[in-house]
Amino acid sequence: MQQLSSLIIPLLILFIVSYGLIKHIAVYEEFVDGAKEGFNIAVNIIPYLVAMLFAIAIFRASGALDFILILFSPLADFLHFPAEVISMGIIRPLTGSGSVGVLAELINTHGEDSIIVKIAAVMFGSTETTLYVLAVYFGAVKIKNTSYAVQAGLMADFAGFVAAIAVCLWYFS
Amino acid sequence: MLNKIWAGLIIIGLLFAVGQDIQDEISNTYKNGVIHQIPYSNIENSSNQLSLTFNNATLIATIKSDQKIHIHLDTDSPAYLQNIADANGNKNRLIGHINSKNNTQLNLLLPELHWNKLRKVTQAAFDMAKFAVKLAIGLIGIMALWLGLMQIAEKSGLIKHVVKIVQPLLFWLFPKIPKDHPVFGSISMNMAANILGLGNAATPLGIKAMQQLQSLNTNKDKASDEMCMFLALNTSSVQLLPPVTLIALMGTQVSELIVPIILATSCSTITAILVAKLYSRHNARQDKTCSN
Repeated sequence: MQQLSSLIIPLLILFIVSYGLIKHIAVYEEFVDGAKEGFNIAVNIIPYLVAMLFAIAIFRASGALDFILILFSPLADFLHFPAEVISMGIIRPLTGSGSVGVLAELINTHGEDSIIVKIAAVMFGSTETTLYVLAVYFGAVKIKNTSYAVQAGLMADFAGFVAAIAVCLWYFS
Repeated sequence: MLNKIWAGLIIIGLLFAVGQDIQDEISNTYKNGVIHQIPYSNIENSSNQLSLTFNNATLIATIKSDQKIHIHLDTDSPAYLQNIADANGNKNRLIGHINSKNNTQLNLLLPELHWNKLRKVTQAAFDMAKFAVKLAIGLIGIMALWLGLMQIAEKSGLIKHVVKIVQPLLFWLFPKIPKDHPVFGSISMNMAANILGLGNAATPLGIKAMQQLQSLNTNKDKASDEMCMFLALNTSSVQLLPPVTLIALMGTQVSELIVPIILATSCSTITAILVAKLYSRHNARQDKTCSN
């Protein structure tokens, strides 16, 4: 699996460049032409990223997450799934590095074979860091009013989490 | 909605931190103003090194003068001592004030610590603001690389071939975009990168698509239906191969997770499409009633 992933990118680059060459494209010139936009986009994103990440940092550093977990654990008991995975559900849409941290911690305490880690890993693998993607994508085109994009993204995340729990409990039982 | 979520994160975070600080203040977690009575013993061959017994923990300390003592801390030391030391600028060294001393016991006054959680939260906010800029600057290179490759793929007609395969799906998802618009190229490349789990390629390609969607947008300040649909697709991200980070964390275990991941991500993607479609239909209907 690891080999496959590390093969795709070099093969893709090889394919794009040689295809361009075959079609008589000035590959170097076109590459530079396309690449020059990179700087402006990255700079445009900065204010959006600062706004989003700093709010998330305050939330995380305050330890409010632990408190929310305590509130939710009766629900987890009632629905018969491990409460530990809720932390992944809450942190996943907020921060990528945070969710990596949560997953690493769960692996550390419960081991890779536990159902808790499997559910958390499926949650991690099946969705994206919604608020980060939102900040970056809308930041790049300088849109502040995001209309209903957050709702759609978060509802999709929620569906993904419920599905991850249900699928894992069924698949690994 | 985003405004509320954003403000919510900040307000909940800060209120929670204040709450914990007030609790610390009431129970005097950091023993502010309390004189610690600490049994000690001299360490052999040293006139100023002491071994202190601090609530079951043994700590090494160095006497600097008649009144000043440096207590050396590591990650196993009691957490409240580490917090006090951290607040005074050095994680590994706590400076104490010796009130009095006899042959076996030291009467020690430690620096006061108030509003520790708030201090940490503020620090985290500043650190993250700096990190955000680092992150954006780091994106420049990756972004330039993929945008450059995209340009070659576009000019050579490669992308047109990719688009042809997924055309029917894209036309259904984005009905209002003219069928020959180049944005379909970027969208399909972005989706391909997502499906293959290539996170760092998906972002630049997605941004390119967003820019093209913005050129079609009639209200430049507000996200169009197409943008919301595209974003929803990206946040739910259909994946056939698990993301590289997950492979790194889970190792070979990842292979048995592929089927569950595909099932779960299909659920989230279908939900994303449905929610986006419903919202856009709802908004269109509202616009109609307004204009009537």
